[in-house]
Amino acid sequence: MVAACCPPNPKDNPLMNIAKLSVAGLLLAAATLSHAEALLKVSAIPDEAPTELQRKFAPLGQYLEKELGMKVQFVPVSDYAAVVTALNADQIDMAWLGGFTFVQASQRGKVVPLVQREEDSRFTSKYIVNADSGISKLQQLKGKSFAFGSASSTSGHLMPRYFLQKQHIKPETFFKSVGYSGAHDATVAWVASGKVDAGVLNASVWDKLVEAGKVDQSKVKLLGTTPPYFDYNWTVRGSLDKKLQQKIQQAFLKLNATNPEHKAILDLQRASKFIPTKAANYKGIETAAKEAGLLQ
Amino acid sequence: MLSASLHDPARASRLAGLIATPLLLLAAMAYTGFNPLLLADGDTAGTLWRFVADFFPPSTDGAFLHDLLRETATTLAIASSGLALAVLLGLPLALLTSRALERDTLCGEAPARGWQWLQRLLRGVLIVLRGVPDLVWALLLVRAAGLGSLPAVLALGLAYGGMLGKVYAEILESQPPQAAAALAASGASRLAIFGYALLPQAATELISYSVYRWECAIRASAVMGFVGAGGLGLLLDTSLRMLNGGEVGSLLLLFAALVALTEGVSRVSRAAIHSRAGGAGLAAGTLLLLTLSLLWLWPQWREAPFDVAGLWRFAQEFLRPTLHADFLVQVGNGVLETLLVSALGSALAFIGGALLALPASNRGPRWLRAPVQLLLNLLRGTPDLLWGALAVLALGLGPAAGVLALAVHTSGVLGRLFAQTLENTPPDAEAALRHSGAGRLACLCYGLLPQALPQWVAYTLYRWENNIRIAAILGLVGAGGLGQQLYLALSLFQLSNAATLILAMLLLSWGVESFSRWLRQRLG
Repeated sequence: MVAACCPPNPKDNPLMNIAKLSVAGLLLAAATLSHAEALLKVSAIPDEAPTELQRKFAPLGQYLEKELGMKVQFVPVSDYAAVVTALNADQIDMAWLGGFTFVQASQRGKVVPLVQREEDSRFTSKYIVNADSGISKLQQLKGKSFAFGSASSTSGHLMPRYFLQKQHIKPETFFKSVGYSGAHDATVAWVASGKVDAGVLNASVWDKLVEAGKVDQSKVKLLGTTPPYFDYNWTVRGSLDKKLQQKIQQAFLKLNATNPEHKAILDLQRASKFIPTKAANYKGIETAAKEAGLLQ
Repeated sequence: MLSASLHDPARASRLAGLIATPLLLLAAMAYTGFNPLLLADGDTAGTLWRFVADFFPPSTDGAFLHDLLRETATTLAIASSGLALAVLLGLPLALLTSRALERDTLCGEAPARGWQWLQRLLRGVLIVLRGVPDLVWALLLVRAAGLGSLPAVLALGLAYGGMLGKVYAEILESQPPQAAAALAASGASRLAIFGYALLPQAATELISYSVYRWECAIRASAVMGFVGAGGLGLLLDTSLRMLNGGEVGSLLLLFAALVALTEGVSRVSRAAIHSRAGGAGLAAGTLLLLTLSLLWLWPQWREAPFDVAGLWRFAQEFLRPTLHADFLVQVGNGVLETLLVSALGSALAFIGGALLALPASNRGPRWLRAPVQLLLNLLRGTPDLLWGALAVLALGLGPAAGVLALAVHTSGVLGRLFAQTLENTPPDAEAALRHSGAGRLACLCYGLLPQALPQWVAYTLYRWENNIRIAAILGLVGAGGLGQQLYLALSLFQLSNAATLILAMLLLSWGVESFSRWLRQRLG
């Protein structure tokens, strides 16, 4: 008789309901735990060495703690895709994402981009080559070995691949071998050591390494620069309190290069200032990722 | 009649084997681009030498050493709790599937149809568990549920659980069946047969195999950090990527120390099993180690919660493998490359192992023995992925580096096993030849090798089954094969591609296991 009053519905599988309930319970428990104390968990895609990421974040973290009136904790993560997973799973609240990781995160869950550096609206990548190879043009790289950064990197993989493709260069067949160094500074080390003949990296990291004298110019030469595109931003998980989202955005926008304390923070972030951003800015990246076959 | 008996009756197949093996290996060399001469090339040697020279002095930077100690503790804790989980998983599965506990083999009772199906299913589960390399389990769990040491423990538990389940079952099957049969005939249950008949007979072997696996688990957990699953691998990955030789030097010293430590523990525990007090001490030590491990890992697990909901979502996306023709061709190339890398690497290691085994077992100059044994420990103790990364520095990205890495690492493993075989070979044949005036070389070729060779070949084939799984992950450091494709697919959230790649790995590992078993049976 029970069946008569409730017609069997394939969606009403009791096992599914139990699974859903327990998942909801777990999420609730996780949510209560993470809100028990006012703590903002922040992470960043590991596009540089972990020690460098921590050094860059320290003063910004202190500034945010003061502005938001809550504890800010940096969660070091060793892998780009893991940052996306963690943000989508509400394990972290805010992350420094590249254009491509942002597109991945918005495809896989609800995330809100808050701010970007002014520089991020016309970002570029640099092709570099081992000085001993005697190569001076991109086309001469045919049959050589080549390193991208991380597979999930916008400036170290996606956009260079996209622009190479526009020049009818398919990396897997054009180069002798293609490797992924994992990070921009590692790409420079690989090219300098001769582990690969050439590579491509984030222009901002390249400039920083050159300024700091960390590139041996007798070993690594600049080969060229890509056209500009949108890159990095600071993104929060969609379920984060709306008021807090606004406060974070305001804190970033208030950073002003004429204030020496702020200038130190901005310099470490390699930003002249932060400006508001929106998801639509990254439509171009999404299209490029689809054309390059990196997004389905 | 007499002339016929002078001929080797198996000469056709032997000759065919003798000709086909080198030809196949040459073809593999051409396909993988592995050319031993490249190693002698000035540029290659120069690049590698500059990096290796940087190992000295090893880094003694305070912050680095602090991280090193902390991650060493984590690595040991992951290995210990991972193995404990593997025993919890493997032992029940072994008891359910071992033919040694079957009433139909023990006392001829007809088995129930349903029970047979269940056993087949469980054996399939074991094959899948051990067919997916532990590092791939870790990669999957990290993608699905978050970073940290918990995915590493689970990965070790699953992969090693599958391995222990199979080996425990085989150990039970290799025991004399009389006691078990007597108990079965008097109506004892499966568990009772195990507890009162087989366990007393097999306990030593079961424990000693588990301790050996603990050694392996330490090496495995030392590289889990390559995929974000905590422990020393994270440091190693960063140091290698940044080509920081000094840090790699410190890590190498640490690995050598860990190998020495685990070998010491293994020796002590193998000796301890034989006495009652020793057994009690071993049990207490195991419990203490496990408690400390869990206490050490617990704060990490609380900090970085495991996303169970993520696991569920991930599994749903994952269960739809890509089957497009283009992609399958790409996977096929990866499969072929992985297969050839593993075969060629193992074959070269056979030669390397043989050359190293002679001095290591005192068949060469006496002064050579200690340095060669040290070298064997170094080759074996350094994780395969680290060899992969070094080989990529020497030979560049691609499968050739994979061949070199496997050849070097496996030479260390086989060298030690081969030396043991030589030491266990009865000396009579060699002595007889020597007394009849044969030279040293003749004694070796006609007295010693014919006795040792079948065992050597069997060891090499066993090792090949293991190397196919290693070859499948060497791509993580750029050394060719399926690994790089899998890493890319998982990084780009192309989960259905990843599913196809893992299916391919499973098929490959299962295929090599079956082929190697067939070869071993024919040769044995």
